[in-house]
Amino acid sequence: MDGAFRKIDIDAFDEDVLHESELYDADPRDPAEVLDEAKQRQVAVRTSLAKSDIGGALSIVLENAPYGPNVDQAKEVTLQTLLTILNTTKSTEIPAVIKALSQDNQDTLMKYLYKGMAMPGWGDISGSVLLGWHEKLTEVAGTGCIVRTMTDRRIV
Amino acid sequence: MSNVLRPYLAAVRSTLTAALTLENFASQVVERHNKPEVEAGGSKEVLLNPLTISRNENERVLIEPSVNSIRLSIKIKQADEIERILCHQFTRFMMQRAESFIVLRRKPVQGYDISFLITNTHTETMLKHKIVDFIIQFMEEVDREISEMKLSLNARARIVAESYLTAFNT
Amino acid sequence: MAPEIYNLAQTPITSHAFSPDRNQLAVSLNTNDVQIYSRQGNEWAVAETLSEHDKLVTSIDWAPHSNRIVTASQDRNAYVWQEMPDPETGKLVWKPTLVLLRINRAATHVRWSPKEDKFAVASGARAIAICSFDSENNWWVSKLLKKPIRSTVLSIDWHPNNVLLAAGSADMKARVFSAYIKEVDERPAATVWGSKLPFNTICGEYASPAGGWVHTVGFSPSGDVLAFASHDSSISVVYPGGPVHNIRISSLPFLTLTWTSEDSIVAAGHDCQPVVFSGSEAGWQGIGSLDDTTAPKATDGVRSGYGGNTSVGRLKTGAFATFRDADSRGQSTISGSSSPSADTKLLTVHQNTITSVKPYEIQGDQVIRVSTTGVDGNLVIWDVATVTAGGASAMTARLGSTHLR
Repeated sequence: MDGAFRKIDIDAFDEDVLHESELYDADPRDPAEVLDEAKQRQVAVRTSLAKSDIGGALSIVLENAPYGPNVDQAKEVTLQTLLTILNTTKSTEIPAVIKALSQDNQDTLMKYLYKGMAMPGWGDISGSVLLGWHEKLTEVAGTGCIVRTMTDRRIV
Repeated sequence: MSNVLRPYLAAVRSTLTAALTLENFASQVVERHNKPEVEAGGSKEVLLNPLTISRNENERVLIEPSVNSIRLSIKIKQADEIERILCHQFTRFMMQRAESFIVLRRKPVQGYDISFLITNTHTETMLKHKIVDFIIQFMEEVDREISEMKLSLNARARIVAESYLTAFNT
Repeated sequence: MAPEIYNLAQTPITSHAFSPDRNQLAVSLNTNDVQIYSRQGNEWAVAETLSEHDKLVTSIDWAPHSNRIVTASQDRNAYVWQEMPDPETGKLVWKPTLVLLRINRAATHVRWSPKEDKFAVASGARAIAICSFDSENNWWVSKLLKKPIRSTVLSIDWHPNNVLLAAGSADMKARVFSAYIKEVDERPAATVWGSKLPFNTICGEYASPAGGWVHTVGFSPSGDVLAFASHDSSISVVYPGGPVHNIRISSLPFLTLTWTSEDSIVAAGHDCQPVVFSGSEAGWQGIGSLDDTTAPKATDGVRSGYGGNTSVGRLKTGAFATFRDADSRGQSTISGSSSPSADTKLLTVHQNTITSVKPYEIQGDQVIRVSTTGVDGNLVIWDVATVTAGGASAMTARLGSTHLR
């Protein structure tokens, strides 16, 4: 006898049930537009880094970061850009840079740090860099910042 | 303690502290039941984003928070075949006795070596910061334990080999 | 004035409510029963146990004028308890009346309306039951507020006009409903929330800023402002038609809040200390904590747990060290004076999450003392005026940006 019907999750068909997509407001921007913007930022960040303006570079990349579905490529570009910034920052400069960020940007930075650590292939960054940033950011922004990373469904 | 380990454990500590904000939450799906939502997964809105903290590809911690329970999974460093065997035996030994460890899960989450399930009952009956300490201490200990076992295993192998080979020495 | 601290139990206190004269206290000690404590000098002693529920009692409210208690539980029921003379002995005992809630999941929160002719029960059935008394049948009947709630309702609060109701739920929204019941209420006057208010009108819907469950809601004393705290470690103050102020805090989320006057709020939660916020339509900010964690009340040890800069490995501390010393060096410090409390005690008065804060003493239109209970089984009565800015050291990084460590 076919038992496949037993595997159907009937609770998912409850009309009251909340779906993933209803948990947050989707990004109103068009995916292609977001990708373009991410690439433009990459260039802007390079010029900022050339002037060794790390705080400015971070603000550029964290402001209006892409979130939600369908923008995976833009997220990838943003993450790569961010990792370049993190890698080039001297560890003694980190606290001052973090303190200069706005609360929104601190929260977004925390999201990217966790995203970076969850990446399977790691790319071109070592774990200790991310962990170092994580520690400094927690010191400044507190555990509340981590809680917001958990609660915010607008995953970067 | 080595310098590389410290920021790793500090990150686990702060993330775990943030995740252990649990409350008593009755199931929305089944009446008069109270289930760990992270395991039941029946209501999406009470689950939070899972977070990974990693030191390198081989050592990482996954924390899956929800409204009334969190699941914490550890991937233990396994550099070679011996460490892999030792780690497997060690975690198996513990998980078979999961009741005595209270917060231990009987089976690890896929891709990890050992998992803990902490519910709101645990944070109510035990001190929250002590649970965090316990997990951190466990993570410290398990690495040390496995490398110690590996050393003594090697030493033992050497003694066995020596005493066996002395028979041919004369 | 130092806070009054009473240890009622070693188990969590899920909810507490004081009698109108503050000499009696109803609590639920994480069980199916409600305990009535009465004050005897400086102690609280159990006077009566109300047992009718067969699942965890989640919320209790004591009506100050009509002296009735309402309890809600995870067994999907609510009872109204009334003190009346026992027919045999003539002694005053609490008698329960069942409420027909018509919900099929746990009841999570209950509050009397200001006039005490209605009460609201929040539930996991994605609904709020508004209950009023049906004198013909001698029971409480309910009407359900359903739309557009999508998840468990975690908390509710009544507007002083007896009609509007605020609700915070796990679908990350705080809402203001009309709970107007024709048979009970007179037509309410227009408020800032709206003028025409038939049952189940939604007068406002506010999302938490970073997607956290809304743990607690509260109307200001005038009812013109709404505050809510959510699991994304933030507290929001809503002026209908005006600004929504949002304060993100750097410590763990709040679970409960109460207004102490039109311009100040006390909130508490997972951070184990009550924090005071104050402000006006122009803006809100954190003032500090009621708990002076810098005072040498427990030990001079480091504050365990929260914050990343405490020592990571605790291998050589506490119980472990005690036993290892006893084992390897024959030293016994167990009976010694240096107790291991340096490691096991937090520097806050509450040793675990605070789950409810309520006004305790009101003078004029100001609440001057509040009471808190928490998972650690303690009841603490705080003087609202004694705010220590230093106590909230965890907050300083966010709130006082000039303060450098």
